[in-house]
Amino acid sequence: MIGLAIDSVLALGIVWLALQTVRSVSMLQAVLMFIVFGLLMSLAWARLHAPDLALAEAAIGAGITGALLLVTWRRLQADGHDPVDSELPAQSKWLTIPTACAAALLIVIVGWIALQLPAVPGTAGDLAWQRLGEIGVSNPVTGVLLGFRAYDTLMEMAVLLAAWLGARAVATTYRPGALPGPVHVEVPLVGALLSLVVPISILVAVYLLQAGGSAPGGAFQGGAVLAAGGVLLFLTGRLEAAPRTSGLERVGLILGIAVFSLMGLMVMATGGHMLALPGAWAIYLVETALLLSIALSLVLLFAAAPGLRRMS
Amino acid sequence: MTTEALVGLIFLPLLGACATVLPGRLATRAGVLAGLLPLPWLLVVVTLAVVQDPALFVELGGFAAPLGIRLFADPLAVLMLWMVAIIGGLAAVHAWFDFPPDSPAGQSFWPLWLLLTSAMNALFLSADLFNLYVCLELVTLTAIPLIALAGSKTSVRAAMRYLLLALLASLLYLLGIALLYNATGTLDLYLIRTALTAAPPAAVVTALALISLGLLLKGAVFPLHVWLPQAHASAPGPVSAVLSALVVKTAIYLLYRLWLWSVPAGTLAAEHALMLMALLGAGALLYGGVLALLQERLKLVIAYSTVAQLGYLLLILPMAATAAWPVAWQGGLYQLLSHGLAKAAMFLAAANILHALGSDRLSHLRRLDQRQPLSLFTLAVAGVSLMGLPPSGGFLAKWLLLEAAWRSGQWWLLAVLIAGSLLAAAYIFRILAASLGRDDPTEAQPVAASRSIPVIQDAAALLLALLALGTGFAAAPILQFIEAGAPAAWSTP
Repeated sequence: MIGLAIDSVLALGIVWLALQTVRSVSMLQAVLMFIVFGLLMSLAWARLHAPDLALAEAAIGAGITGALLLVTWRRLQADGHDPVDSELPAQSKWLTIPTACAAALLIVIVGWIALQLPAVPGTAGDLAWQRLGEIGVSNPVTGVLLGFRAYDTLMEMAVLLAAWLGARAVATTYRPGALPGPVHVEVPLVGALLSLVVPISILVAVYLLQAGGSAPGGAFQGGAVLAAGGVLLFLTGRLEAAPRTSGLERVGLILGIAVFSLMGLMVMATGGHMLALPGAWAIYLVETALLLSIALSLVLLFAAAPGLRRMS
Repeated sequence: MTTEALVGLIFLPLLGACATVLPGRLATRAGVLAGLLPLPWLLVVVTLAVVQDPALFVELGGFAAPLGIRLFADPLAVLMLWMVAIIGGLAAVHAWFDFPPDSPAGQSFWPLWLLLTSAMNALFLSADLFNLYVCLELVTLTAIPLIALAGSKTSVRAAMRYLLLALLASLLYLLGIALLYNATGTLDLYLIRTALTAAPPAAVVTALALISLGLLLKGAVFPLHVWLPQAHASAPGPVSAVLSALVVKTAIYLLYRLWLWSVPAGTLAAEHALMLMALLGAGALLYGGVLALLQERLKLVIAYSTVAQLGYLLLILPMAATAAWPVAWQGGLYQLLSHGLAKAAMFLAAANILHALGSDRLSHLRRLDQRQPLSLFTLAVAGVSLMGLPPSGGFLAKWLLLEAAWRSGQWWLLAVLIAGSLLAAAYIFRILAASLGRDDPTEAQPVAASRSIPVIQDAAALLLALLALGTGFAAAPILQFIEAGAPAAWSTP
């Protein structure tokens, strides 16, 4: 009964927040609504017994994406496009209402059909449960991501690299300015906060990585948490944008793909199957490389800069 | 050996991309060369293997489908891979001069180019619907920044528009895949065929509709082509070439795989869906042709021509249920091949002209035969293939399509095919007429003196055009190869 009440509140809240995000006239309000929307979504995933998704949604959907949107808003403001009071173009109403109706109809149809679907025996998911032992981890999500469907994960890392390369390419045309406002102000509390929060973000990231083998967690969630530490260092002026990508950063950006592919190729060269990681140690090694690449890519995307350096 | 070659086609460009990101000029050069040069040799190995066995599977990680992901190579996949190797390779030769690997521009360009190459190879080899989604995303997210590398605000705006629509398309595709998985329990393109017959038809039809809509949007099929002309016209030359010749075709390729391999023949009212897509193709052919005729800039003419020429690829679909299917299939794939070669040649030639003259307005192309003779020759030779004049590959493709339409009694197709070729002839001759025009002495000279361009850039464009022409001569082995991998015709109800 209580469960039903919680679910109803969540469902209504999610729809209401989505509506508010789209309907906000102020961009800042829309961004804030979107962040809260992400948090409620992560609760919804938790209610659906998908803790891995809940973690990913909170860390990436609400956390990093929210931070990216907020910093974009700040930059737009600094460039003189004050999006706070910008009204939506009037003619777009004629598009928004039919689009919203079509989207709602689509959701109703897909939802209705999905609810009617009979359970199919012997799905890929069932097989993954049965054969999880072959991978060497007990968390099925990690088993699928680094074992049965490792190839997908590798290609997703390539997508992340492409995102960073793309951002860098666009940034050379539209050079984003420095962040405005009192970012670099030296307040005594800031140092104390950083000395607490940054080590904790590293600790949590390592914990999530290590826990990923048997419990919810893994490289993506850990990478997002580590990135949060980096974002904080950037926001408080401990790190600043550099005009060039340093050698170390370059290595870090490709580390995940390189370690993952080379490990896969090595297994194939020694007579195994391509990308069949040989045991849990290999999974942790690859995940560590993935985590570092993910965290670095996210921080660089947030800074909208080719590289970072210590504030001089 | 074959397994290693298949893996190499995906992983060499991927690791090459990683190398180009690393510091040092040597790393960039080595990454580009190691990522691209071995591809044709690997493809020879794969082609020989596919000639022996026209349905080659490799299980990644050693997990059989539906649990794991399989790579799959058949004649269609091999044809697409060859197009990536040849068109992508020659476009890369062209790009080497505009984006030298040790320049800042090259540092941005080559990692994206290699990732795009890897993504397309991966896409044409994947047998898994979700993995195809990831590949499709990677193709899109590498192609879009490459457009923005042109550096102009127009190109960035076109790239952003492409990005938003491509993301919408990806979401539709993903929603459809999620539904299909829940209805069938598998994501394997080839296993799903049997599972689909047992699944609830409502779910399957909705899923197929969502996936197809997403793919039609990514494939810029009329009337969902709105993002294509600006994006393809404002990109750097080699990028335009690859976008029109290969990237949009990834979506068409997936439509083929979905409807001709995965959907059980003659069920789920599929013939209506195929007819609908063919009608869109006919619309594309006519609308794109007319719009190409109205453009004032060379690259926009070529971009609208892509909108039109993609139509042919969908026109063959309704013939899957007729006796003319083998001919239609050969014609469709020959169109895919010859259009890719000719269109890449035209975009590279247009880039050379733009570079040399500083403008690609048709009204500025006067005396092109004196100022850029090789570029003009390339445009003309590629144009011959586009409008389907003998003895080009385009002629053969259109001939086969006409024959298939005739044999299957689809008279409306016959009319559309002829109208499409006439429109192509009109817009190609319009370019040639503008280029051969003489200066009007009463008018001020609008164009400054020509800049010279490296002869290799001219050669790359010309070679592609000659290949488009050459596919008309050396057709027999290619057609035989294509036919060996044709999806089974649907038995007529």
